[in-house]
Amino acid sequence: MNNNIFHPFVLPFVLGMAFVLTYCVVGLIRVIWQLPKEDRKQFLISLVTPKTIWANIRDLFGDCLFHVKIWKRNPLLGYMHSSIAFGWFMIIVIGHVMLFTLKPLEGVEVEGFARSFTNFYYPIFYKHFATETPVFAFLMDFFLLMIISGILIAVVKKIYSKIVGVKRVTKFGFADNMVRFALWTIFPFRLIAEKSNIMAFWWLYSIDLMIFMCMLPFTRYMHIPTEALFILLRHAGLKAREPRKGFALAQLYSCPSCGLCIDACPMSVNDQKSGNTSAYFMKILRNGDMAEAQRIAETCLMCGKCVLVCPVSIESCDIKFSQRAAVPYEIHSDHSYLDVISTEAEHSGDPSGARAFTFGEKISTKPKTLYFAGCMTQLTPKIMRSMKQIMETAGENYDFLDKDGGVCCGRPMILSGKPAEAQAMIAKNTELIKQSGATKLVLSCPICYKVFKEEYHLEGIEILHHTQYIDELVKTGKLKVGKGEVNYVYHDPCELGRAFGVYDEPREVIENVGNLVKAKSEKVESICCGGSLGSFRLTQQERDEITQNSVDDLMFNKPDEIVTACPLCLKTFSKKSPVAVKDIAEVVVENLQANN
Amino acid sequence: MKENIIIIGGGAAGMEAATQLQKLGLTPVIIEKSNALGGHIAQWDKLFPAFHNAKDVVSKMFDNVKDIKTYLNTEVTDIQRNADGFHAVLSNGEAIDGKAVVLATGFDLFKAERKQEYGYGIYNNVITSLELEKFFRTRKDERINNPKKIGFVHCVGARDVKVGNTYCSKVCCTTALKQACEMKEVFPEAEVYTFYMDLRMFGPGYEDLYLKTQKDYDVKCIRGRVCEVSEDMDGRLVIKAEDTLFGKPLRMTLDLLVLMCSMEKNKSIDKIQQQLGVENNSDGFMQNRDMYLGMNDSKQEGVFVAGTCTAPKSLPDTIGEARSVAVEVFNYVNNK
Repeated sequence: MNNNIFHPFVLPFVLGMAFVLTYCVVGLIRVIWQLPKEDRKQFLISLVTPKTIWANIRDLFGDCLFHVKIWKRNPLLGYMHSSIAFGWFMIIVIGHVMLFTLKPLEGVEVEGFARSFTNFYYPIFYKHFATETPVFAFLMDFFLLMIISGILIAVVKKIYSKIVGVKRVTKFGFADNMVRFALWTIFPFRLIAEKSNIMAFWWLYSIDLMIFMCMLPFTRYMHIPTEALFILLRHAGLKAREPRKGFALAQLYSCPSCGLCIDACPMSVNDQKSGNTSAYFMKILRNGDMAEAQRIAETCLMCGKCVLVCPVSIESCDIKFSQRAAVPYEIHSDHSYLDVISTEAEHSGDPSGARAFTFGEKISTKPKTLYFAGCMTQLTPKIMRSMKQIMETAGENYDFLDKDGGVCCGRPMILSGKPAEAQAMIAKNTELIKQSGATKLVLSCPICYKVFKEEYHLEGIEILHHTQYIDELVKTGKLKVGKGEVNYVYHDPCELGRAFGVYDEPREVIENVGNLVKAKSEKVESICCGGSLGSFRLTQQERDEITQNSVDDLMFNKPDEIVTACPLCLKTFSKKSPVAVKDIAEVVVENLQANN
Repeated sequence: MKENIIIIGGGAAGMEAATQLQKLGLTPVIIEKSNALGGHIAQWDKLFPAFHNAKDVVSKMFDNVKDIKTYLNTEVTDIQRNADGFHAVLSNGEAIDGKAVVLATGFDLFKAERKQEYGYGIYNNVITSLELEKFFRTRKDERINNPKKIGFVHCVGARDVKVGNTYCSKVCCTTALKQACEMKEVFPEAEVYTFYMDLRMFGPGYEDLYLKTQKDYDVKCIRGRVCEVSEDMDGRLVIKAEDTLFGKPLRMTLDLLVLMCSMEKNKSIDKIQQQLGVENNSDGFMQNRDMYLGMNDSKQEGVFVAGTCTAPKSLPDTIGEARSVAVEVFNYVNNK
């Protein structure tokens, strides 16, 4: 064919490639530079730790190339993504392999730097310069057609997104749409150019590549190179600390704006509110609209569903917390009239402040269980009463940590981006719990459970949510329950289910006392009740819409009662539910056997 | 029968509207779902601000409607608009035609169980304002056992975003003070506290009642909401509140807690309301055409509203509206 190994049409591609490579290298240095010192150290160590190396390799292939998570969500959507990503990857790899297996081109002598420079574009345009062996020809054509098949699905998806199980898609601006169009046309142009060798198509192909690469950093397609870095950082166990720096920055650029979180978000029940979803939050924060980013960060319910459905595993809730913390706000209330609760043990006897907790009233050799109801359960005395009855019926040696009121677990302060205030409460509770000599801490509020699991250091004390605790009591035979005829549906509280994967224990408890029917959306997919403390900004009306949607979802199989395991969900659902809403502890007490 | 006016609801508004419509020469028909006329007010013992017997007022109303056709234990199951007005099918199988419909369907009392933190239905000594009124009538309630310390909680289910009711229920402030005084009369030794956000003494003689409550009856009014109720070892109630005038949180042990439950729209009429095309306002009550000159008109022609189906109202307000709706209906029928 053509013996020359250069043609001016390769220049747009070379230009684009040079630009995007430079941008990525600068970006990489910037992200790593912005990491706090200890995070950077942790990151570098993780790169040589065998366990993380394996996880990195697994996810680099599984997530970046094969998109396993998208396959699981919808196979057609998975095929669309992996055909383009994997196909493109293979074309590049095979192209380069060919370079080394083919003989130098006839009559052309290129050595040293010139040769390497040739390598840079050669595999991209090789058909113009040389013929390949049949095996390679087949492979290259195969993967090219694979990519084009993926693009065809993408075009259909653009017109009718429901074909891949997506109801709402992200709305894009000019740059994103233009790059998308470039991406769609690159491979058809290449195919035509390769088959016809018409110069105009080689030019179009190359210019398309240039447009794609030059605009890449300013669009969502930046996720393609960034995701790889994000996977490495994620496996190092880092957490976003500042909303637009370091790890968070890598996440912002890794978000593909695919919009899977839009359908998942409980706020999307109202179409006009779907702009509050993580896909838009990430985009807005990336573009630096800080006021709007702050607004969304404060609106979010923090139910965590977007994090779990995200094919890239972006920790958008963490970024929203860091955004909240980034804007300092004053607390204007004057609470100087209140007695300050000292964190020192000897002062806790002050009757006007934190009342002294007298442990060990009951002398027993049994290991002690400590029950902490928390503020929300204090407001739902039925749960507290049921827990007391359960512990007494089971013959447990227990103490009630906050029977006469106690210190908040600290989570509301964390949610508000006030970690220092939260730490003061955590310190006080830690001291009280350690004093008690208990070996087990039981919580009936998932909000508390999350903070006790994540922020407290209670070595030697097992932390259980009451669903797990009751399940344990039933399984060990300490608590005898009877199976009734009532059909229950179980609602997974966000901070128990999605946050800790406690899905089975509550269901097993319910199956022991009645019939468990399924909700329309369960476990990971369960819909926030709408009452979450996470949001500062949602109006009552907006919350009510979310609650109604969640109740409708639970009522899908017409249960007799709704059972939940969170006092806040309980209160929220009670407003809208057509049937009784109960806590799991109440339902268990209703079905206790007489011979306990 | 074409001059029939269908009045749904036989409480104060329905009875008074029927009385006036009859005087204006029309034929009102009252459809009441319960087994007696009188609505909520018939369950009341005394009326604020001057401790009138509710019975006196209600029996006069009963007297006024004794010749008016009344269906008891009857609900409207279906209602259709036709060329002459409305055709209503009743739960007893009968059907009636009417020129116009007056919705006088009143309110439901807020279900106190929904504020679980106040412990109604959980602790024995928590009762509602309605139950206390019944106690005043019958002097029988095993939960009221010579209490030494009594608390009243205002705004239960009202002005409370968390239960979804942001509106003021209007009458509970004065009712609480009235009931506090009455409790003091029944149990002179008892200490009585009321926990309020604001005391909205909007009517004639109400402010005087407020002063009397404090001066003559020694009831202590504390500005602050009760946040939690629990039970101590002896089964007494422990409440937590904040005295916002002193800026101090407080904790108090009580023998009896009375919850001043708010009004919510009577939801049993939802289906008929929907058939008639009458919308709800943002508080969940029925929407009238406008709050000044169209307060008795719904947005649907020939469908009128009166009493607490549009908003919480006191008895005098309700009677006033019932009388004005009669004039509106009269004008509507005559001009048609």
